Amino acid sequence: MRKWSAMLLALVMVFTLAACGGGSGDGGGKNNSGSSSSPSSSSGNGGGGSAGDKPVTLRVLHWINEPVNKFMTDVFIPQFEQKYPNVKVEYTTVPSDDTYDQLMQTRINANDADIMAYRSAFVGAPQEWSPGAADPLWKQWADAGLIADLTNESFLSHYNQTDVENAVMYNGKAYGVNMGKVSFTGLYYNKEIFEKYNLQIPKTWDEFVNLLETLKSNGVTPLGFAGRDVWPFNLAVQGLQATIHDDQLEYIKGLWTGETKFTDPVAIEILEKAQVLMNYAHEGFMGLDYGTLPSVFASGQVAMVADGTWNAPTYASLNPDLKFGYFPIPGSNDPAKNANLAGKYDMTWMVVEKSPNKEWALKFLEEMSIPENYTAFVNAAGFLPNQDVKVESEFINEIMPYLGEFKLAWDQLFINRENVGQYASASSVHAEFLKPAGPIATAQELAALSQKDWDAAAPK
Amino acid sequence: MRDTEVYAMYPFGKGMARHLPFLLLMIPTALYVLFGFGPSLVTVVFSFTDATGIPGTEWHFIGWENYRTFFTASNADDQMKAIGRSLYFAFAVVLIQNAVALFVAVLLNRKLKGDVFYRATLFLPVVLGVTVSGLIWQLMFNPMGGPVQRILKMFGTSSNFFGSYEVAFDLIIFVQIWMYMGYSMTIFLAGLQSIPRDLYEAGYIDGAKGWTAFRHITYPMIAPAVTVNMLLSIIGALQTFDIIYVLTGGKFETSTLAWNVFAAAFGSTSADYGRASAIGMIQFVFVLIFAVTAMVYFRKREVEL
Repeated sequence: MRKWSAMLLALVMVFTLAACGGGSGDGGGKNNSGSSSSPSSSSGNGGGGSAGDKPVTLRVLHWINEPVNKFMTDVFIPQFEQKYPNVKVEYTTVPSDDTYDQLMQTRINANDADIMAYRSAFVGAPQEWSPGAADPLWKQWADAGLIADLTNESFLSHYNQTDVENAVMYNGKAYGVNMGKVSFTGLYYNKEIFEKYNLQIPKTWDEFVNLLETLKSNGVTPLGFAGRDVWPFNLAVQGLQATIHDDQLEYIKGLWTGETKFTDPVAIEILEKAQVLMNYAHEGFMGLDYGTLPSVFASGQVAMVADGTWNAPTYASLNPDLKFGYFPIPGSNDPAKNANLAGKYDMTWMVVEKSPNKEWALKFLEEMSIPENYTAFVNAAGFLPNQDVKVESEFINEIMPYLGEFKLAWDQLFINRENVGQYASASSVHAEFLKPAGPIATAQELAALSQKDWDAAAPK
Repeated sequence: MRDTEVYAMYPFGKGMARHLPFLLLMIPTALYVLFGFGPSLVTVVFSFTDATGIPGTEWHFIGWENYRTFFTASNADDQMKAIGRSLYFAFAVVLIQNAVALFVAVLLNRKLKGDVFYRATLFLPVVLGVTVSGLIWQLMFNPMGGPVQRILKMFGTSSNFFGSYEVAFDLIIFVQIWMYMGYSMTIFLAGLQSIPRDLYEAGYIDGAKGWTAFRHITYPMIAPAVTVNMLLSIIGALQTFDIIYVLTGGKFETSTLAWNVFAAAFGSTSADYGRASAIGMIQFVFVLIFAVTAMVYFRKREVEL
């Protein structure tokens, strides 16, 4: 009898442990409430609109990005709270990985947020040429009526019409406010090292390889990558894609229809050149994480690193004496194709449709869209502006010539099939499987595996 | 009857008061049903739907579709590889963790000088938790001048550690064992300390010492501790996703079935609760099979005094 009851107890334990294993809530978040706000009882007329003066707590979700967070908590939010004394802003930030996606999902499902920052523009919606592709989160929310239609809000008129159309329009409606563009298909380079060895910004692939060789023969490690997180290395691969493909979107459409393949010479060329880049990288680049990358560059251990323009403030703050610039990775031997940087629309503010404080959430975005405030924001964030304003950053002004016409990068254009295998998953090109980083020896082998996974996932 | 006798027969008194223990038991039971068992049952229901979890969206029963997709979709191969890695992970962790823990527990069970210090030190990683342990080992295995890399360089080699397809998964196993060895050790120690001394004395007279004493006295006597440790480590290992999340994020072929449950539920770019629930159920059945088999096996080996 004792044995049986012990058995039963153990069985219950097994069930409990097995069935409700490790749930993780949205803990670990950080709440920064503006501290300088005056008491909500103040009935003073602080320029408040028609919305009345009852105390309101505005819940704003954002991810951790220090320069932007600092601007929000130290400059913008206190300013907003001073103008509208009855509003207290609760600004929550979490790491910008899956944690943030999870936080957004939990909060929007619980209707426990007023404003959320989306990590990109509204891209990736299935097109007529991509049958069976899955809906991205923002589209699921827009279709379910969870995020507010801002089409008729007057503050949208502050922004360039093309940017609004490219970034936040869906079914003819604007569902958000996009705050600016970033580019990431270039390399940061150390100007002092370039001067020391009398190097010029390379205009073609051959010039680039010469430059890498010169640095190497002088005992300087040419390239730094944060391979452990994969995506930072993939930025460089996207640089190759942006300059080697004639038209990325046409090629992607072709993948869906079968007119182009992952094994096409142009795709093989990209993988092979990615392999060349890896061979000029520092030792252990596949073990380096994105957080450590800036210090490797700022301390002069490598001459160039692959990173996005958003990180320029970090480089500048790590080493104020560091002189650095940014140029597009020249994937092709035709200088004209290498002339432009590609990138993406970065963060987008969304208003939660069913929020009881919707009126105030709109006021918040209206305030932020005022050209004066918007300029301060892009200056802090290091974004390329969506309004015709002047930015202070010397860095941004220096790369302006590469931004003649804003080009979207591969991962903003690519739409994947559902349940696709690992060699074509996510944004589909995985040079990290190639030697020296991964187990696969040649570009041809990897391309064949990618094509196989892609074909297997074809819509039936 | 005197009062004391009444209390002995009816420890909770007579009448309504007799039901008090049951009423009190109802509280944890209700909490468990509400927050543990209930949601688990709902997961079963969800796994047969196409629910996205987004409020205001319609959802439908779609039968076994989510399960069929798991086993037959074009990336089913990757899923099977993940299941294979789950088994490898569990096998390595259960075996090494318990062997090391038992060895250390037997050592610490002798009255060593400073044994409290050793015990506390070995138990420390359990207290640190996943994030801190992850951070410690990321620093140890930092490829740019971390301590382990320096040692490797002395032997003329180097590694990408958590960014390497060859060693990342084995390193995760190592960290997992490092984290939970102290836990198993404590359970073994408790078992060891409950063994009466006179058993060894009697055994000694009969000629049992050293390995024979361990084999025929210690091991049978700590069998319940073995069962508990085996069960906990099998279930724990098969369910581990947190240390993978912290160290590699499932990259470099380190994803397991448990990781895929997490990724489907929280990591994907579109919300699909039905699919995630189905993978969760597959994971549950998977763990259950191994846990129940192990439990029956180890229970049989236990002896009662």
